[in-house]
Parts: sequence; structure tokens; C-alpha cells
Amino acid sequence: MKKRGVGIASVMFGFGYGEGFPDHSTASIRIKPDGRVEVKTAAADVGQGVLTVVSQIAAEILGVPVESIDLVNGDTAVTRSSGSTSATRQTFFTGNAVMNTAQILRSIIFDLAVKVYGKTYPELYFENSCVVPHGAEEKKISFAELAKIAAERGEKLEAEGSYFPITTPPDPSNGQGERVYVSYTFVTTIAEVEIDLGTGQVEVIRMVAAPDVGQAIHPQNVEGQMEGGSAQGIGMALMEEILFDEYGTLLNPNLSTYLIPTSLDVPRMQTVIVEDEEPLGPFGAKGIGEPAMISTAPAIINAIYNACGVRIKELPATPEKILRELKKLAAGN
Amino acid sequence: MKGNIVGHSVPKVDAKAKVTGKALYATDLYMEDMLYMQVLRAPYAHAVIRKIDLAQALAVPGIVRIITKEDLPGLKNHGLIFKDQPALVGIGEKVRFTGDTLAIVIGESNIQVRKAIKKIKVEYDKLEVITDPLRAMEEDAVTIHTAGNIVCTHKLDKGDIVRGFMEADLIVYNEFKTQHVEHITLQPDAGLATLEEDDTICIWAATQWLHDTRVDVAQAMGLPVEKIRIIQPAIGGAFGKREDIIAQLHLAIAVREVKRPVKTIYSREESIIATSKRHPMIFRFRTGVKKDGTLTAWEATVIGDTGAYASSGPAVVHKGLYHCTGPYDCPNVRGVAYTVYTNNTYAGAMRGFGATQTAFAYESQMDIIAEKLGINPIELRLKNAYQVGSTTPNGQKLYASVGVKETIIKAVEAFERLGGVIR
Amino acid sequence: MGDNRLMIKVTVNDRLYELQVDPELRLVDLLRDELGLTGTKEGCGKGECGACTIIMNGKTVNSCMVLAFQADGSEILTIEGMGDGEELHPIQEAFIRQGAVQCGYCTPGMVLSAKAILDKNPNPSEEEIRKGISGNLCRCTGYQKIVDAIKDAAEVMGGGGDER
Ligand code: FES
Ligand code: FES
Repeated sequence: MKKRGVGIASVMFGFGYGEGFPDHSTASIRIKPDGRVEVKTAAADVGQGVLTVVSQIAAEILGVPVESIDLVNGDTAVTRSSGSTSATRQTFFTGNAVMNTAQILRSIIFDLAVKVYGKTYPELYFENSCVVPHGAEEKKISFAELAKIAAERGEKLEAEGSYFPITTPPDPSNGQGERVYVSYTFVTTIAEVEIDLGTGQVEVIRMVAAPDVGQAIHPQNVEGQMEGGSAQGIGMALMEEILFDEYGTLLNPNLSTYLIPTSLDVPRMQTVIVEDEEPLGPFGAKGIGEPAMISTAPAIINAIYNACGVRIKELPATPEKILRELKKLAAGN
Repeated sequence: MKGNIVGHSVPKVDAKAKVTGKALYATDLYMEDMLYMQVLRAPYAHAVIRKIDLAQALAVPGIVRIITKEDLPGLKNHGLIFKDQPALVGIGEKVRFTGDTLAIVIGESNIQVRKAIKKIKVEYDKLEVITDPLRAMEEDAVTIHTAGNIVCTHKLDKGDIVRGFMEADLIVYNEFKTQHVEHITLQPDAGLATLEEDDTICIWAATQWLHDTRVDVAQAMGLPVEKIRIIQPAIGGAFGKREDIIAQLHLAIAVREVKRPVKTIYSREESIIATSKRHPMIFRFRTGVKKDGTLTAWEATVIGDTGAYASSGPAVVHKGLYHCTGPYDCPNVRGVAYTVYTNNTYAGAMRGFGATQTAFAYESQMDIIAEKLGINPIELRLKNAYQVGSTTPNGQKLYASVGVKETIIKAVEAFERLGGVIR
Repeated sequence: MGDNRLMIKVTVNDRLYELQVDPELRLVDLLRDELGLTGTKEGCGKGECGACTIIMNGKTVNSCMVLAFQADGSEILTIEGMGDGEELHPIQEAFIRQGAVQCGYCTPGMVLSAKAILDKNPNPSEEEIRKGISGNLCRCTGYQKIVDAIKDAAEVMGGGGDER
């Protein structure tokens, strides 16, 4: 016989290292002689998409298409630190560093353009790798031309910037601090499971997740994080466990004995992005990398209880464990 | 704020290289005159090494060099927070888990290197092996590191916990446990190192924080930071595993000795045995709540098994404590977190960093409370959820972007739209 | 080594190679180490992850589980042979469009499994797609966008019709 149940879990995650740790990112951006924009950071893109995010931010501020961004990445000889890809910090920290740097460069370009035009237009705007004077659009100058002009004048169209917010080290006696983390991401997951009471097998059949990311810089990436994180959460809830014997020997060091979810273990899920803007984030954004997996396992564990009355207090909820608990329940009744 | 580009799903900048197979991961790097490196791991999880006999291994054709601690007396420990992890364990020293390294073997081909590793003979004296953090905390337990088995203790004390429990109509106590989890980055650990003409060591390897990796490799080897250069190839998954630096350090040691490019690729098995795990944690939660569901007190004891080395453990375990009430406002919170050594594979950073483990515990606790009070679990959550002005267990006041209630409401709506029924 | 080497002929991505191979050499090593086709990845070496998936004589195989000499006389397609020079194959384009690529280490194997699915059935259901890629592990994406990409490619390639 099979039984279904629904479970919910809401979580919070303080991102960045916080706790007074000197957490910062540095970026540099320049206009190359061909007018393309070079963005240099040491942010490690582990697949989550930070390089796309920083390209978008630089492109947005400088008024260039994403395709004209050239990235120079992680090499300690040519890039300064962008901190780690961890603590759910890259969109927020390197995103902010790139935003700050792009703003500085924008002002440098703007100053040069004012000098080049020889008059103070009420305003100049950026469009498609050009500086364009309002009302005299035909007089626009491309970034390539501006780079040449800058070189002739011995000036450089480049900028370096950082983001280095201050956080509070918690008081060692009680953990209290005014600003222990820069900000918090929240996620709620609802999972529906179907349990085979004969085998103890749990299948996740429906799942939705709503992350509050402040502002999604790249909505598809946010979904990607949620879907991948939730799959890892399913693994943690139902199947994954490294085992050691009493001699400290690791017993299951391969993928046939340590099982992770396959395409058949993960249901189609829906992500509903909530955007409660974080004033300190780049364009209001918060990080999502880690919280993407946090609410999945508890939602599933609560769904298992809802389905069959078994309260799993030790992860993972393997079929054997569920059967054992079901037996205990039956004996108790 | 959405812009013309921000807020839109443009094609990912790295996707084309990846779908064509052109993206180069550390496993894909080759150099002329390149050698292969593998290491010999500990034969037992807790032991004093007495003898390492290399004679037969050195006789294997193609073996260029075998390095042991005896060759590098000045080698210092490394580690992300505490420098407690040796890159090589020498004679008279202790191995603390089965992934500790006794010898670095370098040869012309991987097959030869693996053959040689099997021919190294090691003699050792066994010590008590501790795999249970609760055993590690007992007075008479053998100490894994000289300073004791408790790496560090963190405390939390907000409001007045005694009053909080006095105000409660119901007090609920539960213990929850989580397991060792492995990251399974699809790309196994790998790297390539070269020695440049000015003696700079260049290392191509996946790392989540190359500037930190550089400093730790340099300090362990006693070299100026500028003499280490870390270059990031494409990264085949990370999830926290690529914060620790052991392969990079072995490569740096090897390349300095043999002065030819050196490459290493871990087998899946080796990667699982020797590199970091998610901390298994124990949570003891005592929660006070009023009849109407209002939280009044939350007391937490958290014990995290960091295995043989601290790695990120001191930060991971207390993050679990600091997040112990989840997204819920509770005026009175007290707790303590212990980070404990065992002889298990060391635990480090993994997606969620302690907050993942604690969420399983507090969200289970919330459901248990809801049932005892006869309150709908969603209502209980909405009632206590943070809003602007709430304070966290650290006493941090939330001033903006506190969308937790909205995430609950939106998730419920979406679930129902899909035909789900919340029972 | 040397002496007991075997002579094989194998066509990889429409190019014929005549090679001397060690009898213990695995196909994945032949492709990567000797032919320089590093788009084929190794994730486990034991047939458990699918990262090394290639198409051999029209069928997907784990190239870590095949010895190089066993490929004698066969036709092999690796990720480098997908698409046409600078032109991407519609499956590759769909992977980019749908955001099906994160770290990318599973991607070459996934793309080839996707091709094998669509070669056999131009209009597969979600379930058929999920079964078809169930031997390919992905730790990053949760598979959803990969499934979507394969559906998307099916439509673009003309299989289309039924939305499922
Ligand atoms: S490498 Fe061949 S299946 Fe994993
Ligand atoms: S994208 Fe990383 S394993 Fe699939």
C-alpha cells in the first residue's frame, strides 16, 4: 500500500563570512583599444553562474551588450582577491565590487567625454558601447574611439574597485553582535511524498520552492540553483550517507555504494522567485547558492511524518529505517 | 531593481565552451615532459608511523622520485582556520584518518605510480580509533591532537532563557542527528603544477578561493606568497569541497623536487576517502512555546564531528548553532556548540555550512510543536516568522529584505496551483 | 610495454585512425590522452557516472568500461564531433538556451545521451527522457533543465508536436 503526505520547511541563511571576518571582493574593469570591456575578477565560477552575473552587472552599468564583455578570471598573478566562492557570497560581494568598479569607470568615461565634446551637455548617456549626447545622437563616440582618445591624452579608461562591508564579531561569551552577517536569504519548500508501506521506499512526487533572493540578477540561474540544491537535499534526506566502521575505515567510497539522486529520483519542481529587495545588494540581490538546498530535506522529513506517522530524527530516511519505525508504530498500536 | 540586462536570463557566458567539450578542467591539462603523481595514504585511521620502506617501490620502472616527510623537515601544517593538518606524516608522527599522506610518488605514467604505491611497506603502532564524537568528548578518550579533542566551543545567550521557559505553556525536547555527506563533485580532484624559471610554482587546480589557497600553500612550504601562482581552470563542481588544498600542496612539493610538470588525478574512491565531508551533527533542542504558538525560549546543544582535522569545522558547527531557531523570532535563546575531533575523514565546508544540518532539526521541531499544540504547521510558521524589526539569535536586528512570510505564502499558493493539497 | 601492442582501426568523429594500442588501454584514455579529445570526461572509471559517455556504432557506451582494442573497426562519436565546425548541434544550443549547464562536467556525456535518445525517438516523453539519461549523473542541475533542453531540442529538430 502507498501513502502520500505533504511537508513544509522554511529556512534562513546568513550569507557572507560575517562575524567580523575581513570579507571582501575586488574587481577591475577597463575599456580595451577595440572598445570591448574587460572585467577582471578572481571569482570562481563553479557552475553557479557568477561570471554571467558579473558580466550582466558590468554590461548594465556601462551600457554595453553582454557579448562585448571579455572576462579575465582567477589567476593570482593577474587578479586580486574576490574572496571565495562559498558562504553564498559571490553575487553579493563580487557583484557589488563589479558594480562599484563599473560605476567608477562610467564616471571616468563620462569625464573624458565631457572634455572631448568641449561643452557641458546637460547629460550624456551610454548606449551600445557608445557615449551619446542627448539631442545630438549623430555625434556619438564609440568606446573604441574614446579609448584611442584617452591613450593619446595619456589617460586610461580603467578602474579598480572593491566591496568590503563591515560585520561584527559576536561576543564570545554570548554570541551577540549588531551585524553578524551582512544579510539573510530565506527559502520555503513544500514537498509531497509517496511512501510504499511494504518497502519503506519514499518517492518525492511534487515539490515547490520559494526563495527570497532580493532581486534575481539571472532568474534562470536562480532556478538552476534551486533545482540542483533541491536534488542534493533529496539525496541528504533519503539516501546519502558515508559510513565508517569502528576502525575508521570508510565503507562506501564509490558511486555504486554511495548513491546520489539520478534523473529518476528527482521530480519536476517549481521555483517561485520572491524578490524583497536588499538595499545593500547589487541591484537589490542576495545570494542563493547554499540556501537552495537547505529547506528540502526537512520538508521531505515532515512529509514522511504527514504520510505515515513516522518521525525520522536521524538522517537519512532510508527504507530500512522507515520500515523499522513503521513496525514500532504498529506494535505500539 | 531590474534593468535592461540585470533581471534577464542571458545565455551563460561559459556554457558554449562546456557544451562543446572545449572547456578545460584540471583533468584535461597536459604538458610535454609531464610526470604523474599519486600519494600513499594511511594504512590505519589512528596510528604512530614507525617505518616507511621505499626500496621495492623505487625499483618499479618509471618511478622518478618518492618524497616523504623526512625529505622536508621544515614542512608546516596547513588548514583553513587552524593549521592542524600535515601534508605528509613522518616517522614517529601520527596519522589521524585513513586519508593522511605518507609518501608522494612521482613517475612517468600513472600505471607505474600506482604499482609503486602498492609496494611501499609501512610499519605502525595502532592507537584507539575514535569514530564517535561523544566518545571523543569523554575524559578518558585518547587525544587525537595534543590540545584535546574539543577543537572549540561557541556560546549563544540572548534574552533570558529561564524567563522564556517560565512563560512557556509547552516545552518540547528532541534530539536530532545528521550524517556524513559527500559532495560528489562530478570532476574528481585533480591538478597540474609547473616550476617557472624564476622558481615560481604555478598550480592549475579547481579551488573556490585561489588567493587563500596561495597563502596556505606558501606558508606550509615556507615560501614567499609571490612564489606561488594559482590559476583557475574550469571547475567541475565544488559545493564546498574545493576549499581545502591538499592536492595543491602535494603538487607544489612534488614539482619543486622534480622540476618537471607534475599532474595528479584522484580516483573517485580516493576523493571520497581523503577529502572533506559534510559535518555530521547532533542537535539537542529544548523549545518553549505558548498555547497560541508563540515561541518563548529555545535552548540548543550542538555537537559537530569535524573528523581528523578542523578544516572549516570551527565555523561550520557554530553556524549551525547561530541558525538554531531558523527564520523564527524567539526572544530568549541559549546554546552551546562543540566542534570535536574524531578519526573519521575530516569534515569541512559543504553547501549550507552547518545551517543545512540545523534546519533539519529546527523544522522537525517546529512540526512536532505544531502537532502538540494542534496548530496548522503553516500557521505556526507564519506566526513566528521574522519580519522587519525581528532579532536573530545573535541579537542582530533585521532592517530590510525579510521576505520569509512571503516565501511561505507564495510556496503554498504555487503548491495548490499545481493541484497539491495540504493536509 | 611496446611489444604486445595491438593494431586497431577506428573512426572517431568521421576521421579514420590507425593506431597501436596497449591491450590494457581503456577507450577513454585513448580518446583523451592519445587523441587529445578531452571533451570526454572521466568521473568514476567504473561505469557508474556516465561522464565518459560516447556513441559507438550508434549506441551510447561508457568509454571507461571499454578497452581501446575492443573499439577496433567501430565508429565513434564524441562531443567534439557534435555540431558542424563552428555551428552547434541543436541539442547543444538547447542546453545553452535552457540553462542546462552548470559546472559542465556531465555535459558532454549528457549531450551524447540526449542524441542517442532523440536518434531513437524524435519525440520522447518526459519519462522516456529521464530514463534515457538515468545513467548520467549530474550533481549540479537537478536534471530538470537538462530534461527541458532535450524536449526543446526535440521540438527544434522537428520531432515536436506533443508537448509532453
Ligand atoms: S567515468 Fe565512465 S562511467 Fe564514470
Ligand atoms: S552540470 Fe555539474 S555535474 Fe552536471
